[in-house]
Amino acid sequence: MLQSLKIKSYLCALLLLATAAGKTVSAQEPSALKIIENVYNRDEGESRIGKIRMTLINNRDNKRIREIQQYVKDYGDMDKIIMFFITPADVRNTSFLSWSYDDESKVDNQWIYLPALKKVKRISSDSKKDYFMGSDFTYDDMGDRHPNADNHKLLRTETMNDEECYVIESIPKERGYMYSKKVTWVIKDKWIELKKTFYDEDGELLKNLTSLEYSLIKGYWFVTHLEMHNVQKNHRTDMQFIELELDAGVDDNLFTERMMSLGL
Amino acid sequence: MKKISQLATKHPWLILSAILIVTVYFTVQMMNNSRLETDLDEYMPQTHPAFMYSDSAEAIFNIKDGILIALENKNGIYNTNTLRKVKELTKALQDMKEIERGDVNSLYEAENIVGTDGALDVTPFYDEVPDTPEALEKLRNNVRSNEIVYGRIVSNDETVTILTAEIEDDVFSIDFYNKLLDTAKDFEDEENAIYIAGKPIVEGTLVFLAPKDMQQMVPIVVLVIIIVLFIALRSIKTTLLTLLGVVLSIIWAFGLMAAVGVPIYSVATILPVMLIAMGVAYAIHLFNHLKIFLTRNPEATRAEALRNMVRVMGRPVVISATTTAVGFMSLLTSEVYPIKYFGLFTAFGVVVALALSLLMLPAALMLMGIPKNMLSTGAKERNHPLAVGLTKWVLSHQKGVVIGSVIVILLSGWGIQKVWINSSFIDKFNKDSDIVLTDQLINEKFGGTTILNVVLNSSDLDAFKQPDILRLADKMQVEVDAELEEVGNTFSLTHFLKRMNQVLHSDSAEYYTIPDSQDLNAQYLLLYEMSGDPDNLWKQVDYDFSRANLTFQLKGDDTKTIKAVLDRIDSYKDDFEELGVTIRYAGSGYKAMVFTQLILDGQIQSLALSLLIIIVILAITYREISVGLIASVPILITTVVSFGVMGFLNVPLSTTTALLASIAMGVGIDYAVHFIERYRDYRKIHTDKTQAAIATMNHTGRAIMFNAIIVISGFLVMLFSVFPPNRELGALISLNMFTSFVGTVTIMLVLINRKKKFKD
Repeated sequence: MLQSLKIKSYLCALLLLATAAGKTVSAQEPSALKIIENVYNRDEGESRIGKIRMTLINNRDNKRIREIQQYVKDYGDMDKIIMFFITPADVRNTSFLSWSYDDESKVDNQWIYLPALKKVKRISSDSKKDYFMGSDFTYDDMGDRHPNADNHKLLRTETMNDEECYVIESIPKERGYMYSKKVTWVIKDKWIELKKTFYDEDGELLKNLTSLEYSLIKGYWFVTHLEMHNVQKNHRTDMQFIELELDAGVDDNLFTERMMSLGL
Repeated sequence: MKKISQLATKHPWLILSAILIVTVYFTVQMMNNSRLETDLDEYMPQTHPAFMYSDSAEAIFNIKDGILIALENKNGIYNTNTLRKVKELTKALQDMKEIERGDVNSLYEAENIVGTDGALDVTPFYDEVPDTPEALEKLRNNVRSNEIVYGRIVSNDETVTILTAEIEDDVFSIDFYNKLLDTAKDFEDEENAIYIAGKPIVEGTLVFLAPKDMQQMVPIVVLVIIIVLFIALRSIKTTLLTLLGVVLSIIWAFGLMAAVGVPIYSVATILPVMLIAMGVAYAIHLFNHLKIFLTRNPEATRAEALRNMVRVMGRPVVISATTTAVGFMSLLTSEVYPIKYFGLFTAFGVVVALALSLLMLPAALMLMGIPKNMLSTGAKERNHPLAVGLTKWVLSHQKGVVIGSVIVILLSGWGIQKVWINSSFIDKFNKDSDIVLTDQLINEKFGGTTILNVVLNSSDLDAFKQPDILRLADKMQVEVDAELEEVGNTFSLTHFLKRMNQVLHSDSAEYYTIPDSQDLNAQYLLLYEMSGDPDNLWKQVDYDFSRANLTFQLKGDDTKTIKAVLDRIDSYKDDFEELGVTIRYAGSGYKAMVFTQLILDGQIQSLALSLLIIIVILAITYREISVGLIASVPILITTVVSFGVMGFLNVPLSTTTALLASIAMGVGIDYAVHFIERYRDYRKIHTDKTQAAIATMNHTGRAIMFNAIIVISGFLVMLFSVFPPNRELGALISLNMFTSFVGTVTIMLVLINRKKKFKD
């Protein structure tokens, strides 16, 4: 697997050398940090409403499908998200509320509501490295990690799926982070991560993230379908955003403990 | 036979060079292609339903055997130094390339689910090593209040903590073990002691230990046999030739194994033992006859004497060897490949030993000359007083011999009922070995080193979210754990649910129960998935919650212990069935037990089959069923006595000891065939039956006695082996040789002597 990947990237490099001289890294390109910041700061509107359909597939090809209704609002220095499970039926109306701060020194607030227990509980866990809803995505993977946390290097530019991409290598500044390296293919001008590879602490390939569909919605670029594949466990998560509405004008009162318990 | 006898005396060089070439070929094969099979799963029949089920369950729940590393600090583990060692050792294990990072668990890696004032927290027990008394005390309290960790990762007396590293089946090697020992032992100091145990270590070491011990013991056995052989034969030439035959047959057998790409399984270590016992016998019979012939025919030339040796002794040696070989071939009916191979290659080795004794011995003696002590001294042949005395005594106490034999058989039959089967690996080690002591420590302080996986299956999706099913599973675990001393601990999905339920109810102990509603169970599990490591969950339940894996920790890996637990668990079968749930078992402990049972069933079957084959072959050879039956008497007695003694001495039936029956068989046939063959010949010469019996005793009786003494003295050496199964092996082989000898010269003599006449 690793071997073929190496060969592929080697072939790609050869092709690039042979065909497009202008595609090698030049002084006019933005810095690697700038590119990653552009991705991090890409505007997706001040709010959104939509459903997430998450398909979890294990190494035996067993599937579990979860549908979640999601409301998100950007308050500038913080994001508020509330999510309600639609399916499976036995967890319907289980809800999850999160206030996450851009300021890294501030601890995010998270609550969970279990309808069968009729109780809202605050969750205080090391959330950034946690997996989102039992998927293969950590919160960091979904865009929570601040660009300053890593050292970035622009390796090259190359064309992938007819898109001009910057290929950026990111190495964490802190020791003992769950990934030793990430390589990201960022689409020029759209600032979308087309592909991303994650390497574990031993430097071995751990996960592949692929953006399968993305489109311009109300003038914002948004990835609507993506897949994360943990190659070591051969576990994958397919995530689809459906019935998506951006700049939807979400009510501020939605992001409260009271709303959590009301359900859909 | 005539042609063979001429071949050896006319073209000795040709024969010896041919033997040399083949030997060189097999030696090269052996040097280059021999491979010891260390993956015990390779020993098991992959298509057997029990194994297939277990393998699939192992894949679903990611069940792997764990290496256990115990860190003991007699003053308690809650101090900065010990906790730092736990953290660093965890990281050191994770850094080993044979171990996957996520497969290491320890107090440092474990996660704690806690409820603190309205919040749910899933955190590591510690990240930074605690260095204040308050922090240490807090850690201690956190552990004490978490049933998932207390008594599982930290012992109840808080002096031992365990690190586990799960590895794939094919990872273990002696190099890896040594590296692991080095890595772990680095963390030892005056206060902190390290112990390493666990199934991979036990099995892995065993697979290497048995052949290694055999490698050390066999040369000593051979040396002792050389000495005793020399005392018996009083000639260096014949002593060395006998040995050479044995050694070559062993090389050829292992060489062929290597040439066809069959790995050496641990049962194959008995192969040399078998070939030594048989090979020595063939040579001794030949040399014994040669000496007698030369005494009777002092004028005979070298070639004449050797031809006569092959011509007269060829027949019984061939009958005995082919019968033995066919007997071993019956092991091909076994479902277990190592046993099949053992039967096949031992049969080959026996045939080689036969061919070498009929070709190499005469050819070599033709060239080197017959040893002086065999040549006639001119003294007249006379029967040895011992032969005369023994024969007369036996024939004058025929009733006594028969009654005695019946009593021995009945006593043995009683003993056989006490024979118990043991698939334990731990029991194969010395009681004071590191492995056994570590095992004891962990069994004493924790739930136990043996893992039994109980898999509950339902056809309903989400069955393991249903309160009634979960409650029954919980009830079973609690009751079995409380009732059976051998069960130290249990673990399953129910522990997660109970823990979550308690934590989400302000940590109040009365909520350490399975919730009433399926939805709540589902929501707890979702919550766990979101905040903990979901991989922990998928070790307990499958993706659609229709199958659950309950882990039982046992304090012993012997068949009795496992059977007792299985029986108790099976008693819940009906209750589960009402809920549409079936019980199956999985894991290496269970597989080892089924495997042992399978081997033994196969052995007993093939033993019965080979006995039948032998009787038929002998009956056909002698054209009389009664002779076939009489010839099988020594084999029967030897086998029965062997198992009977095992019962009385509390030696369990294991894969090794069960194979000894085959040796009893091989040796028994040899003694019986030679004795009957000679007796028939002497009956033609002597009209008096007693005279014929005396002559036979003097001729063959002497040879089989020598053979018994030689092999027994050789194998008694194995009593000094450091490896308990090999000690049992040495003792039982010696016993078998002795019984075969006694059976042949007493009860079989009585029976054969009662026959009025023989067909030609």
